[in-house]
Amino acid sequence: MIAELGQLSLILAMMASMCLGFYPIVGAIRGEPRLLIMAKPMAFAMFAFTLLAYMALTHAFVTDDFTIKYVANHSNSLLPVYYKYTAVWGGHEGSFLLWMLMLSGWTCAVAIFSRGVPLIMVARVLGVLGAIALGFYLFLILASNPFESLLPYFPVDGRDLNPLLQDIGMIIHPPMLYMGYVGFSVAFAFAIAALMAGRLDSTWARWARPWALAAWGFLTLGITLGSWWAYYELGWGGWWFWDPVENASFMPWLAGTALIHSLAVTEKRKVFKAWTVLLAISAFSLSLLGTFLVRSGIIVSVHSFASDPERGLFILGLLVLVIGCSLALFAMRSSMLKSNSRYQLVSREMMLIGNNVFLTAATIVVLLGTLLPLVHKELGLGSISVGEPFFNQMFTWLIVPFVVLLAMGPMSRWKRQAIGDLKSQLLWAVLLGLVMTALLLTSFERFSMLAVLGTFLVFVIVLTTIQEILLRTNQQINWRNLRKLSRSHWGMVLGHLGFAVTLLGITLTSNFSEEREVRLNIGDSVELQNYQFTFKQVRHIEGPNYSADGGVVTVIRNGEFVTELLAEKRFYPVQRNVMTEAGIDSNLLRDLFVALGDEFTDGSWGLRVYVKPFVLWIWLGAAIMALGALLSIMDKRYRLVCVSKATQAKNIENRQIAGTGADFG
Amino acid sequence: MVKKYLLLFLPLVLFLLLTFFLVKGLFSEARYEVSTQVDRQLPEFSLPDVMDEDQLYTRQVFENQVTLINVWGTWCVTCAIELPFLTSLREQGVRIVGLYFEQDLDPDFGGKSLQQIRTDIRQTLNQLGNPYQFNIFDVNRDYSMDLGVTGAPETFLVDMHGRVLLHHVGDLNERVWQDKFLALYQQAMLEQKNG
Repeated sequence: MIAELGQLSLILAMMASMCLGFYPIVGAIRGEPRLLIMAKPMAFAMFAFTLLAYMALTHAFVTDDFTIKYVANHSNSLLPVYYKYTAVWGGHEGSFLLWMLMLSGWTCAVAIFSRGVPLIMVARVLGVLGAIALGFYLFLILASNPFESLLPYFPVDGRDLNPLLQDIGMIIHPPMLYMGYVGFSVAFAFAIAALMAGRLDSTWARWARPWALAAWGFLTLGITLGSWWAYYELGWGGWWFWDPVENASFMPWLAGTALIHSLAVTEKRKVFKAWTVLLAISAFSLSLLGTFLVRSGIIVSVHSFASDPERGLFILGLLVLVIGCSLALFAMRSSMLKSNSRYQLVSREMMLIGNNVFLTAATIVVLLGTLLPLVHKELGLGSISVGEPFFNQMFTWLIVPFVVLLAMGPMSRWKRQAIGDLKSQLLWAVLLGLVMTALLLTSFERFSMLAVLGTFLVFVIVLTTIQEILLRTNQQINWRNLRKLSRSHWGMVLGHLGFAVTLLGITLTSNFSEEREVRLNIGDSVELQNYQFTFKQVRHIEGPNYSADGGVVTVIRNGEFVTELLAEKRFYPVQRNVMTEAGIDSNLLRDLFVALGDEFTDGSWGLRVYVKPFVLWIWLGAAIMALGALLSIMDKRYRLVCVSKATQAKNIENRQIAGTGADFG
Repeated sequence: MVKKYLLLFLPLVLFLLLTFFLVKGLFSEARYEVSTQVDRQLPEFSLPDVMDEDQLYTRQVFENQVTLINVWGTWCVTCAIELPFLTSLREQGVRIVGLYFEQDLDPDFGGKSLQQIRTDIRQTLNQLGNPYQFNIFDVNRDYSMDLGVTGAPETFLVDMHGRVLLHHVGDLNERVWQDKFLALYQQAMLEQKNG
């Protein structure tokens, strides 16, 4: 019964999207306000019905309704309840429903938070989102219906969740990633709406910017969570594998990073308009491509276990329709664009476009690396694999000029920057950077050229960021001057510092990590980077729903006790699973990581021991970047834009002044 | 001006080119077949008996006899439900061979001990009936992958030449047997009898 209601809700949501994709757009063309005002209610309806459908499916999972094919295939009565909630998006149909829930959620958010944007523009944006949603609702209902029934013959119990997917990490980061993926649809819709209007002034960039930042922030967090989880739970000690599915999320991130920078230029200087539109289209297109690659099984990876060419064809058709049409619209309309301001070769504009060039190059590298095996095979040239060395080398080359621009860009002026004026700042940054690099790297035993390069780049970013703040506060750092800087300025500062922190983590971890696989008897020890790991004992542990062998390892450095690690091997009798729970001692300077392996017949145990310097910084930096995005979104000028009338704007401003103390929310 | 137009159309052209490869890729063979296509020879293998690692089996055990290969595990709830029906099939003279699939999350670290698996199997089969002539242990789970198994239970009907006639996903019960298997099974048995 509830499942049927879910099915009905899904159809109603589709009908709402149909109205949303049609009437407001017609209204915008004909200039009929009657049609325009339909946009917002339809957006709300679309979200509400999708949410209902999603709740109905969740209900079916929790109550073990095996008359539904999707539930029977992806759950079973013994599955713990938390897995049942997450199993909703464990398969193809459900994950698309989640995707749709998020798309309609973003659409609804646009309808709510766009009071300052003229109605005709909102109607166009919502219309574009509705049209995209219509395509995917049709796909969901026609080709991949999560509510398909097995009646009258239904199984006694469900089949287990695909064993490869019954794994908390595979479960937790899809929602975050989807949130980012789908979020780029909003910036995309603004770009398309602006193209349709034929009025590509800088206002659309201002409206689209907070949305692009929000999507980028979510995507940053999603990728970070995935990587962090892989490190802590998989027990391989790695944090990024250049797996096709990771790449599929990394491409929109790179394009999105270029987009948020390009939007800033378009908003402030009214240049690179066509380029910004193209980036907005690209970021969402790459998200769609990523979804397609992961879900069609076209690229073989553990994530895409089941593939179905017909469904793949349907998504590909949608992809061609959405991306093809928008690129065609772009090609036809953007030729009318003319930049109406001038700038010199050395200027902030040029540095930002340079940064865009390198980010785009990086996106293309990842795209090529991911798709080359496919293209190669289809050309009949046999199978090849593109692996880590390719990506690592390409990114090592790209990062140097990228950082040079990142260092100079924020300090330079718009229009024209005399390079001589920055001489002292750059000289300081380079000299001080070299000294700090030398100081930091002498604390490591080994020497590595790449580590020197990476660390130096990090210090250059940090020092120039500080120089930039000095420059903007007239060399006087005090509370009053710092407060004068806008929130979006602080957002930029955090974004850049976060990037530096991540880069430092990556550099030091990649170059100075040590790992060893050893076979130890109780009482034996092994030494890594001055840390002496002693295998003390194995004790039996009874947990709430598992029993475990816990290997106790004490760590001593230079005769001083550092920590005691407990590396567990847990056996869950209900699921009959064995999970390794690595013992990790984490601080900002290094991670000590011990994983327990098999017991051998002679009573010795296999252990994996790692020392990973600065690995925490990788995720810390990403979190700082996401925080930067949040700060930028909260900038005053977006909130002023939110209100159309000047009086209302004033009211809000007053309220802000009154409530600045508690203004973080 | 023309040049500018060409430049603006470049993204569209590149995307369409990419689409061409995506369409082709969609219909080409994946590395792992999703389902062993029916009418195909079973892939080669060499795997031990689950109860005795010294006893090795190869594809030859499926030659000259019509066999049902049943993919199962003691951890699988539905498998437990189909065991009594499979046992009744064995009593009717159907040859059933198990392909034992251990759901083991961390192959690098070895999960349950072999001893424990064997105790579980013995216990389950004593309780619910033993339909199997013997059980092949898919140690690394790669043979199931080759067969296109996505979970358990799944059942394959193999003829006397080692060809897959049918691949059934889900539990095997009276209804499925009557509707899906019986006709093909009888035909295959006829062929076996005639030589």
